[in-house]
Amino acid sequence: MRCDEVREVLAEHLLGTLPEPEDLEVRGHLRGCAGCRREMAALAEGVSLFSRAAHETAPPEGLKERVLSVLEEEWAQQPAPAGAARKWNWMAAAAAIVVLAGSLGWAAAADRRAVRYEADAANYQNFLGVLGGENVRVGTLSPRGSRDLHGSVVLYDAKAGEQSWALLLVRAPGMEGTADVTLSSSDGRTIRLHELTFEAGGDASTWLVTSSSLKPYDRVAVTAPDGTQIATGTISGERTPTG
Amino acid sequence: MRSRDPGSDAALMRAFSRREPGAAEGLYERYASRIYGLGIVMLGNDATAQDLVQDTFVKLWRSAERYEPSRGKLDTWVLLVARSLAIDALRRRVLDARSLQAIGLPGEVSGEPGPEEVAETADLADRARRAMVSLSDGQRAALELAYFGGKTSAEVAEMEGIPLGTAKTRIRTALLRLREAMEEHREV
Ligand SMILES: [Zn+2]
Repeated sequence: MRCDEVREVLAEHLLGTLPEPEDLEVRGHLRGCAGCRREMAALAEGVSLFSRAAHETAPPEGLKERVLSVLEEEWAQQPAPAGAARKWNWMAAAAAIVVLAGSLGWAAAADRRAVRYEADAANYQNFLGVLGGENVRVGTLSPRGSRDLHGSVVLYDAKAGEQSWALLLVRAPGMEGTADVTLSSSDGRTIRLHELTFEAGGDASTWLVTSSSLKPYDRVAVTAPDGTQIATGTISGERTPTG
Repeated sequence: MRSRDPGSDAALMRAFSRREPGAAEGLYERYASRIYGLGIVMLGNDATAQDLVQDTFVKLWRSAERYEPSRGKLDTWVLLVARSLAIDALRRRVLDARSLQAIGLPGEVSGEPGPEEVAETADLADRARRAMVSLSDGQRAALELAYFGGKTSAEVAEMEGIPLGTAKTRIRTALLRLREAMEEHREV
């Protein structure tokens, strides 16, 4: 699509009325064209202004409490109902945690090497293959700086109608407190996993189950609360099993 | 105007999906009056407008992880979610009205529109309303059909009896014109 073609339909893209195939093209174009993004920002400001002018009305007292308490109820029932058609992958994820933890000898030997972890991640991929879990990708964490740290990340890219999930296990003797784990894609998108909490001995694990596709995400970073990166890794689907 | 960068939109939604109560409240403060007002305009009464606010927030929560800042501002996303729920409610209402007619009962009882208390008009909303005056009737109608009705440009063209290109231009010009008019008012 050329810029002039995109600009002609940008308002529709914003208002959510552009048919999907064309909308997809527009989104692709916008990712790589700053000029059209600027134009879209101007139109978006127009939409925002229109919403205020056309229908901003103070809601009645009490509605806020009602909405917040409904959300509390919703949270109390987590995981949120995911729709009957959606296959739930909790079982696989739970099994995965147990097996991966076991295969890494989590409670045992402290002197494992990164190589070994890499092999384990590959074994894990085999294990999921056996479970029927295709679309599994793995990555190995590399420490930033001289810290002693090992770990793996496993991503399951769901097929349509399923939940995707990510699982990260790390061991960093001496680490305490919490850390953030972020997956990122080459086009700048990020997703955060649940916060990582290090136990005594420096073991920690975290996960995420989501309806979003994890396919675009191919990098992982572990970041301390003060913003310094502790570890990073690249996630690939091509790893073959090793001894 | 309070403009937020996409980063803070993303941060707000992330906090919301992590159930931080402050984030839920922040979202409410930011959007409740616009969602409620959308309900008043589209659905015509206070009770259904309140329901719309509740349903929108539940839906926002359930799809919080699907929000991608790269695909657009949070403002537009929230409004699109609210609009699609309002359109669903309208469809249901049409169906209900038909079935009530079929069994000989009166339809919608309370047609009384409008909130009891008059909205405390924020300065921004006020200026936005003044900016609306600068739109032509045609521009405004096209924008309303697309915005409230979720109509494609082709549908707008058909309903308004205008060429497709004109429909597209009207919607686009209306949005840009609003923004320009706001700038002018700001400078006054
Ligand atoms: Zn362009």
